Amino acid sequence: MSEKEKKEEVRIGVYVCHCGINIAAVVDVKAVAEYAKTLPNVVVAKDYVFMCSAPGQEMIKNDIKEHKLNRVIVAACSPAMHEPTFRAVVEEAGLNPFLFEMANIREHCSWVHPEEKEAATEKAKDIVRRAVAKATYLEPLEKITGKVVKSALVIGGGVAGMRAALDLAERGFDVYLIEKSPTLGGNAARIGYLDFKMRGADLAKYLMDKVSKNPKIHVYTNSELKALEGSVGNFIAKIVKNPRFVTDACTACGECVKVCPVEVPNEYEFGLVNRKAIYLPYDYAYPRIYAIDQAACTKCGKCVEVCKPKAINLDEKAEELEINVGAIVLAAGYKYYEPQEGEFGYKKSKRVITLFQLQRLLAEDGPTRGELVVDGVTPKSIAFISCVGSMGTTPTAATYCSRMCCTSALKDILKIKEKYPDIDIYYIYKDLRTYGRDEDLYWKAIENMVKFLRYEETPNVRVEDGGVVIEVNEVTLQEKIAVPVDLLVLVNGMRPPEDIEVIKSVLKVGSGPDGFIKEAHLKLRPVEALTDGIYLAGTITGPKNIIESVTGGSAAAAKAAALISKDVVEVEPIVSSADEELCSGCGMCVSVCPYDAISIEIKDERRLAKVNELLCKGCGACAATCPSGAMQQRHFTDKQILAEITALAKGVIP
Amino acid sequence: MSKEGKFEPKIIVFACNWCSYAGIDLAGTSRKKYPHNPRIIRVMCSSRVSPEMVFKALRDGADGVLITGCHPGDCHYVTGNYQTMKRFQLMKKMLDELGFGDRVALEWISASEADRFIEVINEFIEKIRKLGPIKFREEVLENP
Repeated sequence: MSEKEKKEEVRIGVYVCHCGINIAAVVDVKAVAEYAKTLPNVVVAKDYVFMCSAPGQEMIKNDIKEHKLNRVIVAACSPAMHEPTFRAVVEEAGLNPFLFEMANIREHCSWVHPEEKEAATEKAKDIVRRAVAKATYLEPLEKITGKVVKSALVIGGGVAGMRAALDLAERGFDVYLIEKSPTLGGNAARIGYLDFKMRGADLAKYLMDKVSKNPKIHVYTNSELKALEGSVGNFIAKIVKNPRFVTDACTACGECVKVCPVEVPNEYEFGLVNRKAIYLPYDYAYPRIYAIDQAACTKCGKCVEVCKPKAINLDEKAEELEINVGAIVLAAGYKYYEPQEGEFGYKKSKRVITLFQLQRLLAEDGPTRGELVVDGVTPKSIAFISCVGSMGTTPTAATYCSRMCCTSALKDILKIKEKYPDIDIYYIYKDLRTYGRDEDLYWKAIENMVKFLRYEETPNVRVEDGGVVIEVNEVTLQEKIAVPVDLLVLVNGMRPPEDIEVIKSVLKVGSGPDGFIKEAHLKLRPVEALTDGIYLAGTITGPKNIIESVTGGSAAAAKAAALISKDVVEVEPIVSSADEELCSGCGMCVSVCPYDAISIEIKDERRLAKVNELLCKGCGACAATCPSGAMQQRHFTDKQILAEITALAKGVIP
Repeated sequence: MSKEGKFEPKIIVFACNWCSYAGIDLAGTSRKKYPHNPRIIRVMCSSRVSPEMVFKALRDGADGVLITGCHPGDCHYVTGNYQTMKRFQLMKKMLDELGFGDRVALEWISASEADRFIEVINEFIEKIRKLGPIKFREEVLENP
């Protein structure tokens, strides 16, 4: 603010709204307007039946010109209701929109004190006095803008991430798609059947094919986000590309696998079989290049010897790269719940497997090529126990419902029944949630003679030779039942991905009590993170089925596109800034900022706090913490708030 | 003081924009009733309220100060209310030493908790009513 502006005389106009009878039936609006006229700097005070109506708005605009008003107060409803309306009105009349203040005499007064007319009128006067105090010290604020980089980063190459990348690329934006594993596809690619016809592989292949053919999408596998700088519209993402040890000269001939002496459990088959240290995650992996598992490889060099195209480089090092993007889509997915050893007999018997393992057994590209063979035999009877790792079933279980497991298990049951109609199937459930259209699965299962047993007390599993016995206290029958079966499938749920803590700290996004990333608002902003410019897709926000994940990918892409199709971003200017004269560079503000928006910089050999206005969200925690008063939040300065306090507590305008 | 000479506590309420202010608004839109004592000051986050503001309110004539914010874990600014919590505990110690500890409170009120606000404010008003006006203002500040 220039010296001239500082000395400008404050001229306030106060407008008391009747809101029909909403305010006027309780508060003596004329008395409030008359009272306002007695307050310092108030040039004009009026009352009117509906201030938000066109004539009400015109009245303000005319008065700004006629009375040379430079502050406007409307005493009416909550600022949540009409502050934007009146800010626009004063702006149209040529005044800075931040020279407007609302006095809430409806929600906070007339509506809650309908029988105390006199007291309500006095309270309304107090509220107007507070607004006059604040208005006296209001300052004009300029909009904060930043340039927008027209590209996006998508984290996670699962179905949600690939969908988001495709949608963004199809809108013409460059997309950087990073995936920490050696292949795109994510969890969904490994699910035997998504429904009766479509396999997980079909969906993954469809998306991978489109991604690989789109020149706008730049895929980085074996890559992770290490650090993030910048802010909405202009991020600098630091990516670590971990060594794959195999170059794109690889022809996927598979000679290397034959000679590799190291065997480790194959995570793509959920440990049902082993794989070598050099491997291709699955036949249709993208990119179709072998990869070496750094943790397992002994660097014996046998693969190097047999590799004809000379594609193997055991000395490959991690690479770091920087990518400049305007928006980020986080689609890092989930991790399945791995039951504890001994939980329902898991790992105590080969006859106890998880739902995820069963889905691999049903997959045509799985370890048994789609044949249901466990422990060398096709079971004659199978039991499923639901809510393993969910619904608080066991001490290590999450309290939430994993949402997709019931439908997923029943779909698998029907798939088994299709091929093996004679297998006896028991579904032992805590709660059955085949929501929406999938309710159909439940009725089809009933038709197929699947026996449903309900438990409240967690069932006990006894491992026996060639099978297991499940002891369940059946709720409906009120009877203890022992169910001997050849195979037990634990219907396990979803957990946040293993690197969730890294994701949270790098992206500055928070999580809820379930550990998944929290949306800015579940209903109002369901695909946005609390940090502007970061959008959420798929199961990173909690359990979802495939349809919901893919929908989320498209939704996040739409939101990201809305941001990066603009040339500049505008930020509410109620951010903090530090007065260089007063700042001692102590850094207290840095430690309380939830957004890392403040840094200490050296200027003329002095330590000074500097606020990144695009990162700052205007909470004011720094201003309240600053010991010297150097840090101030605009529109909520110490001076303004202290004036409001004095106006209310002492009854005078300082 | 009211006209009848009965002590009517002057209460200053700091309300965060996202949860508590909206919760207090909801009491209005739901046409609930509560005593007219509270006077509300809107801040974006409860973490904006500095101890200086609380002391200033007590010094200037408030009989009680209530700070309200989003429930832990629900802060619009991720960790703002945790800062409030930490700062409040320190401030409370100081206020206790000075004998004003009971006159200042911190409460979490969400945007949907109109009833909770009414419950909190009623209890707080009654507590302050029992404590009576701050004598020190008349004794020390006004007649030094």
